[in-house]
Amino acid sequence: MIASGPDASFDEAVRAHAGDLFRYAYWLARNRQQAEDIVQNALLRGWRAFPLVRDRAAVKSWLFSIVKNEFHRATAQDARHAGVDVDGLEFADERASPFGMEMRDALMALPASYAEPLALQVLGGYSCAEIAALLQTTEGAVMTRLTRARQALKRLVLPTDGKERKGERS
Amino acid sequence: MNCLDFRRILLSGDGETGAMREHRVACVFCSDLLKEHAAFEGELRSALEVPVPAGLADRLVESLPAASPAEEQRRNRRRFLAAAAVAAGAIGIGLYAWRGRDDPMALACIQFVMKDEAKSIMMGAMPRAEAARMLADSLPLERIESIGSIRHIAPCPFGEGTAYHVILMVPQDKVTLLIMPDTPMPARGRATHDGMYASVVPLRKGSVGIVGASAAVVDSVAGALRA
Repeated sequence: MIASGPDASFDEAVRAHAGDLFRYAYWLARNRQQAEDIVQNALLRGWRAFPLVRDRAAVKSWLFSIVKNEFHRATAQDARHAGVDVDGLEFADERASPFGMEMRDALMALPASYAEPLALQVLGGYSCAEIAALLQTTEGAVMTRLTRARQALKRLVLPTDGKERKGERS
Repeated sequence: MNCLDFRRILLSGDGETGAMREHRVACVFCSDLLKEHAAFEGELRSALEVPVPAGLADRLVESLPAASPAEEQRRNRRRFLAAAAVAAGAIGIGLYAWRGRDDPMALACIQFVMKDEAKSIMMGAMPRAEAARMLADSLPLERIESIGSIRHIAPCPFGEGTAYHVILMVPQDKVTLLIMPDTPMPARGRATHDGMYASVVPLRKGSVGIVGASAAVVDSVAGALRA
């Protein structure tokens, strides 16, 4: 719920969405430190523009889009980007099941063009149409990317998936 | 719907539709597939939900500047206004002296269209109801809409105050209106510059600058707005 003053509203929005914004940035950058930097810079930009946001109900989408733009800006500036944060993967062992670790490895292997809509859908709770608007593409293209992302993940973590089962109707 | 359609939509992750539900109830294979898929989605969510660094939200809030964004925006606006006033003044005086008959306010309106109109549009439009309320005493929206279609309306810094920037499509062309509820004009002023024509017209409260590429269209809009 957005509170009275613009500062309080922005602070509340940051606190409400910091986790999801960090995770989204992480799956874009695949690096925890870079993800935090991206979110911090994005929020600074967001903070400056916040008084101009007229639809406060859409703040979450707006913040996601700023994170995306900030990632692309940072990536363009730092041609060295592309490395996966091997150190950052240590956290995965702490709580993930063996299957979960396989899943996370599989996600790491996904191209960014597949991981990004997947993160927006699963973490952000956005529909294909909303993701299409955020990524400035068509809903059909998003559905295709999401389908391929899940197919790729299933191939990697569920080796038997993809084979047609007996009795399926087509 | 068949099994292939069911699987295709399921993999897109957009949730189960009514048609999918109907198919699943009648298809034991897709019913099993949905159960497997739900387990897969759970693992997928867990894998995507990487741990967030401890104290991240607090750090992020603390990293924001101490001044409020509204205050910083006011500061930036004051700087912008000061710079715009100096620039508009210099341009206006220079052109006024050169041309002898151009109205400085009308010239400033042309300058706005040439330099700041795109920026104003990018800042986003205001809700119609709010615009109607703000302009009720100076130039009611219904009056504007009686002569054309409003494509954009938003407040913007102009001169020493705030103007309401309107992009209006009239049958002949596009014109820009700068409605200045707090800037009265004793009489109508006109200016031309760089192929553009502007006219500033007194209103019941404040004034309106009209800018277009054709003197005939601007004069026609000015006449209609005053009527």
